[in-house]
Amino acid sequence: MIIRKKNNRIFILLILLVINPAIIFSQEIESKDACFNCHGILEGRLKTPSDMYKSDIHFRKGIACSACHGGDSKEEDQDKSMSKTAGFIGIPRGLQVSKICAKCHSKEFETLSKSVHGQSSTGSGLIINNCITCHGVHNIIPVKSPGSKVNGANIVSTCAGCHSNASLMKNYNPGLKVDQLDKYKTSVHGQKVFSGDSKAANCASCHGNHDVKKVNDLNSKVYISNIPTTCNKCHGDANYMKEYKIPTDQYEKFKKSVHGVALLEKGDVNAPSCNKCHGDHGASPPEVESISKVCGTCHVLNSQLFQESPHKPAFDKEKIHECSACHNNHDISTPTDEMLGSGEKSVCIKCHKQNDKGFETAVKMKFMIDSLQKDVELANYFINAAEQKGMDVSDAKFESNDIKKVLITSRTSSHYADLEKYINTINEGFKITSKAKLEGEEAVKEYYFRRLGLGISTIFITIICVTLYLKLRKIEKKQKT
Amino acid sequence: MKKKSILKKGYGWINERFKIDDLINFMKKKEVPLYHGTIWYYFGGISLLLFIIQVVTGMLLLLYYKGSAELAFESVQFISAKVKFGWLIRSIHSWSANLMVLAAFIHMFSVFFTKAYKKPRELTWYSGFILLALAMAFGFTGYLLPWNELSLFATKVGTDIPKAIPLIGGFIMNILRGGEEVTGSTLSRFFGFHVALLPGIFTLVLTMHLIFIQRQGMSAPENWDELPEKNKKKIPFFPNFLLRDLLIWLIIINVLSVLAVFFPWELGVKADELAPAPAGIKPEWYFLFMFQTLKIIPSQILVMDGEVFGVLLFSIAGLLWFLVPLWDRKTKTGEKRYWLTYAGIFAIIYIIIFTIIGFIAK
Repeated sequence: MIIRKKNNRIFILLILLVINPAIIFSQEIESKDACFNCHGILEGRLKTPSDMYKSDIHFRKGIACSACHGGDSKEEDQDKSMSKTAGFIGIPRGLQVSKICAKCHSKEFETLSKSVHGQSSTGSGLIINNCITCHGVHNIIPVKSPGSKVNGANIVSTCAGCHSNASLMKNYNPGLKVDQLDKYKTSVHGQKVFSGDSKAANCASCHGNHDVKKVNDLNSKVYISNIPTTCNKCHGDANYMKEYKIPTDQYEKFKKSVHGVALLEKGDVNAPSCNKCHGDHGASPPEVESISKVCGTCHVLNSQLFQESPHKPAFDKEKIHECSACHNNHDISTPTDEMLGSGEKSVCIKCHKQNDKGFETAVKMKFMIDSLQKDVELANYFINAAEQKGMDVSDAKFESNDIKKVLITSRTSSHYADLEKYINTINEGFKITSKAKLEGEEAVKEYYFRRLGLGISTIFITIICVTLYLKLRKIEKKQKT
Repeated sequence: MKKKSILKKGYGWINERFKIDDLINFMKKKEVPLYHGTIWYYFGGISLLLFIIQVVTGMLLLLYYKGSAELAFESVQFISAKVKFGWLIRSIHSWSANLMVLAAFIHMFSVFFTKAYKKPRELTWYSGFILLALAMAFGFTGYLLPWNELSLFATKVGTDIPKAIPLIGGFIMNILRGGEEVTGSTLSRFFGFHVALLPGIFTLVLTMHLIFIQRQGMSAPENWDELPEKNKKKIPFFPNFLLRDLLIWLIIINVLSVLAVFFPWELGVKADELAPAPAGIKPEWYFLFMFQTLKIIPSQILVMDGEVFGVLLFSIAGLLWFLVPLWDRKTKTGEKRYWLTYAGIFAIIYIIIFTIIGFIAK
């Protein structure tokens, strides 16, 4: 029996030496690890762990089966090696698995415990993911090895194993989408990863690995205001991105843009981050003809007006980048009225030249919005002046709220690029402003009228007082005589 | 010339029927002592003028004011912003209310220090005291009517005070509030008190007060009778005193208009019964000395609740003040009770100091 075992061992060793030179280094362990040796000569499911373990990094590092399963791996007698007195635990269950890994990988386990996957699962006493959920068991190979379950394209499938499983995911978060993998396949990242480019972003590149947090967790790498930094790790690294031949200044531009300032400086989480325009799992640059649709997810009216404008067919024909042609992309700054007209900062003159219809329209639009702006300032001046004088201008102030609205509407209507429609919109603004201005003016006049009235009545009453006094003196003088 | 004869004819027509000449002759015969304290006589007239202004402006405000929790604030806002001269009427109404209470206080103290409440003028004093109390009640009820944040909470504090009275306190509070809390029912009730009940009682007591004065004439200073006849200076009530009164009335009207134009009465924020009480809740200035006293009294004094003690203290002080004609008599040896004058001075100083503290306190 022992001779037979020995022959088998030599045979296995020879085969392994042929198929994997790395196992040369495990020769000594093989001879010492009774568990590995015995299971290796068994049949069926009892043999599988031993077979798989041959390629495992732990095997190569000389870690015996007993390190995880307990028992005495030096003892060849099964009754002794797998006895409870030798500390044999059999197959580790539940949290026990991660705790065993944590004996050596304590840092990783600690991080995992704090992550979303380290939270308790639907099964009592278990966590959602333990180490083997992602890394596998008995065949764990280095992360950088192409065959690792957590390497490159493999990690996508590993994550999708759970995240694409609607039945499983609804147990934890019924609202969470399960189409990440499908979207990822359409993304530039996904296409590159699946074509063998290990540099392109996979799940862990953005979400992290052991420290995956919920998206709405402030510490998550993909929390809305952390996304620009996360994307910038790769996209801002000129060396890393060299082979892709794309700019690496997106983050620098974005953080100075109106969106970046709102999100990163003012903490407005309604402001868009990278993923709002590019998509998250399906990240890719918007197509030229879909830019206005992408921007239109927030700027609904502007997008709608642009779609109806003569610019849309013209832009499509010339392959002009819709919204970004005038507003730029990553470095979008607060739009100003200077963008209209024919001035230095005008965007209209990029395409329209003097004497063409578009040029004339732009000049007229600029003139009208400037006039409205002046009217607004005048109305506000009168309202403030009246208010400072202590007059009640609540109605005028209420109307001045409409002025702001009308200015926005007028500016928005420039996306029509149609003078007639623009005039119709802006005329409403002139009406409201005139009314507010008039009310402010009236209040100021009323203030002076009150002062005047007071002055006149005071003089009048004073004259009566003096007359009365004189009369009284006259009477009293007469009485004395 | 023709105009004059028309006026004469008109006067003659009225005189024939109502004997105006008799009234003028009566007023001409009536005399007012002229001495260093004559100035105090005018404060009664000033109070009367301000009351008349209150009635007139109050009636004008009634044309637009709506006494319900839903509409009160908006109606006052409408009066101030939209009604022609509404801002002026409202401002004059508010200012004259405050000046009237001030004038009435001065009038009361001047009567007190000149001992004008003594026999035979006891009833004039009693009615005057009641008029002052009614004027304060006018102020208290009127303060809530704009239904703004400050007035709501000040009324809550004010109507909470009677609750401290044993046995009947809760009942009085419920009568005032029209329920357990200050709500729209309280506003309707206060509106009723302010424009119907109080004016009715006030007019009645005021009429009695004026009749008493007309029947008894102006009180002379205490040592008047001891003065030699040549030193007793007097002026006829008509036209001398009446014209002087008129002169002061005109000056008061001028002061009122300046105050109304330069310091228009603010409306504040609409009351919200469910909102927490804002900081700095204070009653009208003439309640401040009592409010401030109640604030500093410890919650427990011996076996008595602090608030009950405070209410009791002011009730006793008020009662003693009211009944002063009954117990302020000369001593058996005929000496004056100087300590009473000192008590009056103390009362004035106390009121002034505690009102100032109340204003400053946060």
